[in-house]
Amino acid sequence: MSAFYASNLVLVQATLVAILLALSIQVPLRLGVFSLAGVGSYGIGAYVSANLVLREEMGAVPTMLVSGLVAAAVGLVLGVVIYRLAGLYLAMATIAFDLTVGVVALNGGEWTGGPVGLFGVFADLTMGLLFGTVVLVLVLVHLTEVGRLARRITTVREDPELAASMGVNVRAYRLTAFVVSGFLGGLAGCLNTLTRSAVGLQDVSFHLVVVALTTIIVGGALSWRGAVIGAVLFTWLPSVLEVVGEWQEFVYGLIVVLAAIFLPTGLYGLWCSARRRVVERFRPPVRPRRPDEPDVPAATVAPEHEVAAR
Amino acid sequence: MLQISDLHVSYGHVEAVAGIDLEVRPGQVSLVLGPNGAGKSTTLNAVAGVVRPARGSVRVGDLDTTGLPAHRVVGAGVALVPEGRRVFAPMTVEENLRLGGHTTAPGRAREVLERIWEIFPVLHERRRGAAGLLSGGEQQMLAFGRALVSDPAFVLLDEPSMGLAPAMVDVVVEKVGLMAESGIGVLMVEQNAEAGLGIASDVTVVNRGQVAFRGTSAEVRADASVLRAFLGESALAEG
Repeated sequence: MSAFYASNLVLVQATLVAILLALSIQVPLRLGVFSLAGVGSYGIGAYVSANLVLREEMGAVPTMLVSGLVAAAVGLVLGVVIYRLAGLYLAMATIAFDLTVGVVALNGGEWTGGPVGLFGVFADLTMGLLFGTVVLVLVLVHLTEVGRLARRITTVREDPELAASMGVNVRAYRLTAFVVSGFLGGLAGCLNTLTRSAVGLQDVSFHLVVVALTTIIVGGALSWRGAVIGAVLFTWLPSVLEVVGEWQEFVYGLIVVLAAIFLPTGLYGLWCSARRRVVERFRPPVRPRRPDEPDVPAATVAPEHEVAAR
Repeated sequence: MLQISDLHVSYGHVEAVAGIDLEVRPGQVSLVLGPNGAGKSTTLNAVAGVVRPARGSVRVGDLDTTGLPAHRVVGAGVALVPEGRRVFAPMTVEENLRLGGHTTAPGRAREVLERIWEIFPVLHERRRGAAGLLSGGEQQMLAFGRALVSDPAFVLLDEPSMGLAPAMVDVVVEKVGLMAESGIGVLMVEQNAEAGLGIASDVTVVNRGQVAFRGTSAEVRADASVLRAFLGESALAEG
């Protein structure tokens, strides 16, 4: 185990970073905000953290916090400007934001190292800190997926007008989505820089948009579990696919296409519906009620977990 | 009292509501009738804060709510039941109800829920069932209940009879009456004239964004020509 762990340390680190990047796209999506700005925030976090460590010799924890907060602040400004856009138009505006960050990185002079990037970014980031940070984020995200807050988020996503007419401040929720997305993206970018001690143009490339989006589409878009499943899958898949040699890209593409066609709710959604089917098999059937029949015992109607499974 | 005066609402160059005055008193049902496109739903949406009025004012008691965003209007005690029910099918009945409680004080929530169970026993009976398994009429009651969770002084009902079987329309109308009896002021908009005439204390007929007729239910029935002109012969076939 420990030999496996040591030889795959880079992949473990990449998985943890990929989880945070995927969440930075997934969290706004759950609120009905089709924003891909998390990738731009990732780039901001990646370069800001490199500068903090190289110039200010900041430690890992303050670097993570500052990088996340800077990206969150930029996310808020972006959100104020474009939160009224919806659907594909919002997605396009946020992709433009991602590309803008890339252009700034390329032309940033000594702040970004231009096409070469920045190297030798060493901070006191331990595996324990990295792991702990990701677990903390997952716990916080989980809290938004249960109970009252989860129901509000569902309403804001599925029917914003209805949500507003029931007293939910939809605008505040949408803006929060931009801020949270910015923070998570910035944190992911920072951790990527700190684990690899370098940052370059590949950390702001359009490719990351595709990676983050496929991660949550294949994994499942409505729960953090989907982001984790997708991040593990797409970080480890390339090394597993080495056996197929030059067909690697082809197989990779095939998996994405098949997932999009056959798993519209992602792998996590597949798991949920399978579990539901098993539970239903062991439940007494729902009998139609006769008009003269008194109260139906509540337990024979649908169970509560159907909502949790969504 | 909910007071709407000289309300104007425009969508671009189209003036959907051009100077409507309405009053709703606590414990009474005010019915607004009119054909498609008369500005009925727009009026409700403007009161609820979903759209911004261009001119005029909306007052809830002493509070001027004109142009407030929707979530603040709920806080002022006005709840909208939008057209078409819009319940969340996979959630349970009780979870759908709990969606409505953001502005309710925690201590009050239980009491409010009890009142809802009392008016709509069927919701209590099926509270753990998925909302999607309810009939159309029951879903409409759930939409009513969800609005009542915010403990409003006034509710705005947008075509509650739409798409329901005639027998179910009677049940829904009876429930609207019960809501009013519990002290809530009801502003109900309908195309189906018969749906609300029995319980309405006053009736306003609107057309092309303006008030065309105003009176009691009895006056509307007596002056059937008014309705016939706006709603066509079939509207009063039952009456």
